[in-house]
Amino acid sequence: MYYPTEIQVTPLVNVRRERILPTPGETLVRLGDRVEPMQVVARANVPGEFRVVSVARSLGIPASQLKKYLRVKVGEEVRRGQVVAQKGLSDPVKSPLDGVLTASGSGRVLIETRPTPFELRAYMQGTVTNVLEGHAVVIETTGALVQGTWGAGRESVGVLKRLVKSPDKPLRSKDIDPSCHGAIIIGGAGLDDGVLERAQELQVRGIVIGGLSSEMIDAAERVPFPIVVTEGIGLIPMSGPVFQLLATHEGREASISGRIKPRWGVVRPEIIIPMPAESLPPDQSQPGMPLTVGARVRVVRAPYLGRAGIVVSIADHAYRIETDARVRGAEIDLGQGKPIFAPLANLEILT
Amino acid sequence: MGARQVAGREMTTAQDTSIGSILVADCGTVLTKVVLLDRVGGRYRFVARGETPTTAEYPWGDVTAGVRHAAEQISAVTGREFFKASGDLIVSDTSDERTDVFAATASASEPLRVVLGGLVRDLSVASAERAAAGTYSLVSAILASDGRGGLTEEERVRTINKAAPDVICIAGGLENGAVRPVLELVDTAALACSLIDEKARPRILYAGNSELRQQVVEIVKGRAELRVASNVRPTLTEENLLNAQEELNDLYGQQKMQQLAGMDTLTSWSSVPVTPTARAFSRVMQYLWHQGDPSKGVMGVDLGASNTTIAAVFGGHPFLTVSSNMGIAFGGEKLLQTHGAEIITRWMPEVMEESEVHGLLVNKEMRPISIPQDRRELWLEQAVAREAMRTALETARPGWQPGIAQPHPHLMPLCDTIVVSGGALTNTPRPGQAALMVLDALQPIGVTTLVLDKYGLVPALGNVAAVKPVAAVEALDSGCFVNLATVVSPVGRPRSGSIVLKVKVKYDDGSAFGVEVQHGHLEVLPLPPGQQAELELHPRYQFDIGLGPGRGGKRRVSGGLVGLIIDARGRPLRLPSERRQRLMQMQRWLWDVGG
Repeated sequence: MYYPTEIQVTPLVNVRRERILPTPGETLVRLGDRVEPMQVVARANVPGEFRVVSVARSLGIPASQLKKYLRVKVGEEVRRGQVVAQKGLSDPVKSPLDGVLTASGSGRVLIETRPTPFELRAYMQGTVTNVLEGHAVVIETTGALVQGTWGAGRESVGVLKRLVKSPDKPLRSKDIDPSCHGAIIIGGAGLDDGVLERAQELQVRGIVIGGLSSEMIDAAERVPFPIVVTEGIGLIPMSGPVFQLLATHEGREASISGRIKPRWGVVRPEIIIPMPAESLPPDQSQPGMPLTVGARVRVVRAPYLGRAGIVVSIADHAYRIETDARVRGAEIDLGQGKPIFAPLANLEILT
Repeated sequence: MGARQVAGREMTTAQDTSIGSILVADCGTVLTKVVLLDRVGGRYRFVARGETPTTAEYPWGDVTAGVRHAAEQISAVTGREFFKASGDLIVSDTSDERTDVFAATASASEPLRVVLGGLVRDLSVASAERAAAGTYSLVSAILASDGRGGLTEEERVRTINKAAPDVICIAGGLENGAVRPVLELVDTAALACSLIDEKARPRILYAGNSELRQQVVEIVKGRAELRVASNVRPTLTEENLLNAQEELNDLYGQQKMQQLAGMDTLTSWSSVPVTPTARAFSRVMQYLWHQGDPSKGVMGVDLGASNTTIAAVFGGHPFLTVSSNMGIAFGGEKLLQTHGAEIITRWMPEVMEESEVHGLLVNKEMRPISIPQDRRELWLEQAVAREAMRTALETARPGWQPGIAQPHPHLMPLCDTIVVSGGALTNTPRPGQAALMVLDALQPIGVTTLVLDKYGLVPALGNVAAVKPVAAVEALDSGCFVNLATVVSPVGRPRSGSIVLKVKVKYDDGSAFGVEVQHGHLEVLPLPPGQQAELELHPRYQFDIGLGPGRGGKRRVSGGLVGLIIDARGRPLRLPSERRQRLMQMQRWLWDVGG
């Protein structure tokens, strides 16, 4: 039995996302509420700016005498330029910012600005299924889910718009026209040099592509919208099932996230397309199952990187591969002639 | 009842029938391995193993699922069942299908995030850094009071806040030494802690001038949880890491290992506390040192997906270094960002441009379990493996106290045995590739046996040693290790193209032959696994093979998968600076070792 990594490329699934405040605050929705992607579901005050002011050093006094010369008490508000401490006629020590004097000791004081309000949005359309008062909200929806491999940027919402005819075509800047304003645009194998600039000009909400050349990683990390790369870094065509699923939903509103964490609480970039549950049959696949004949898989290393197919047999002993290594693997029908052999370690189940 | 003394521990023997089969698991960042040991013919032997992707993440979210998956593979081979239908471990019942003891090691947790503070970067801070490297930790910021780290107090507080550490480790002040700067550092750390939400607030570990402990307690009181350890740098020349390492290891156990999904169940199954993999690995190196030449050291390198562990023993003292974020999957991109592509590609026998290197390394991070199916990608992974080991060794070596095992201060100490563990080293398509990676990265000197932990058993056996030492010892002796090669590495000042070593090999069947090895060459002589031979070594031009300059001698050596390697390429190893020449050189060396 072999239990490969699972990647969700699913036409209909229950999607559950926990929305967590960075610091304790206030939850604004209740169990059972319907929420929209841009709706604020919780808010908190995150700690603001601070300054450490070395009063004793500035006044030339021993640290132990700090209290004697302070003009403001701990907990009191201060304005920028307000005298915080003074000794006789010497130059006073002034506050460098508006805030509250929150601590004193060891010859210095700590001044903190007022906390900054932080608003947590729902991210996706759905129903609130749990509320951890003051900390987090759980939202669930039913819809299609596509998990990517690499991503950049945060979260956004937009209408899916396909700009290429097939998954092996690159996304070109000339294809991005004003109709892409506010859309999540879908390409194939990579993008040309002008795409990111053009997409910013037209305020697209996100880009989904099969592969991204490594030279464009830095630029992709700087754009203000999320990017989801479905297969990996390199000029790799989008795998067939991913392209077909996204193309099927062209014109629908989707949520997109470019967030990524490859280990210790894995977070994958994703596209969620909420749909009315009753319109499609329920998803039957069980997560966490071993690899079996008939499973839909994707190969994740060259020479078949990004190619999806069906497992036709699982070898019961090791075979020699191109590197001369002997590994256990499976035969995969990629739909193009003879099945190929791929190491088990290089397969992902597409659920 | 032949009791043996190993690492100071009295052991019972296999005749003690209270423990039968032993199932051991190691939950790594990407792979979980399970090993079954059992008594066969009155001795413990390795019976079978299973290996499967670690299941800490979706859809399982429970490391014990991976243990069950790997155990299923053992069941398929042995016909024995280890788990009930409910998923619970079958322990010590009356049937044959039972596990008497279960023990686990783990390295799948996130490392401890550490901010280090000290007075002098090359003294107390360096010692604190080595203390942190004794466990799975990631140093996210360093605050030194000397010129190079001279930040204002506010900048230090910001640095700590940004680093969001689990622990701030403050060293500094020799015994009876500096006072004020140490206390200022503690005060800054406490101030930074007070600005962090209580739930995320780091602990402070004080490992500086012990005279100041009471004042440190007063300063930190109410602002952070304080732990105190012995001064890591009590004098200019002395380092005392053990106590601080224990504290950090304890924090790792409490704060990180316990957070691993499924750890509660794993702990409940286990007869002994779940041990960090690196610690268990180090335990076996200590055992091996007691078996070998005490004037030399023993070293083990475990190259994992996330971490590289270097465990060395000199004079009976263990030195453990874990280089977190410096593994075969999660290390390459970091090396690329900090040192550029050439630090990796210089080890490759083919040209690969930086953009391709970058893309492949990012993809490997995204799919850490995947393996190269194409030769170029294999060369890249093996190049990353070399650099990861080399970088880890650079961190480890300054903390070693090799004593007489160090005849050449700027080179590696003499090591009797080097144990090589981790899939990228043990699953190479050809054994010569593994040997060459180790020789390039670690550059041993003298005569060394390279031993392959073929089945990834070393951490598991290290943990078994805590339950049943004799089982670990007998399993080690029963073929868990595979000899990779015996290596002779002469050291000296070369004359161009000169013969530096004459070797005569006498096989047990009476046949013999001799070779003269030129400086700069890598010679592989046949000596298959299971065979032994007597070597007569005659170094020239004052070259040293570990017996002193110019001194030769006889040595009985064992064969290995590669054979007998004479590595006369020089120490430190120098690669041609011109790219084409370097490529040809790498191709030549790879050819020489049969890679």
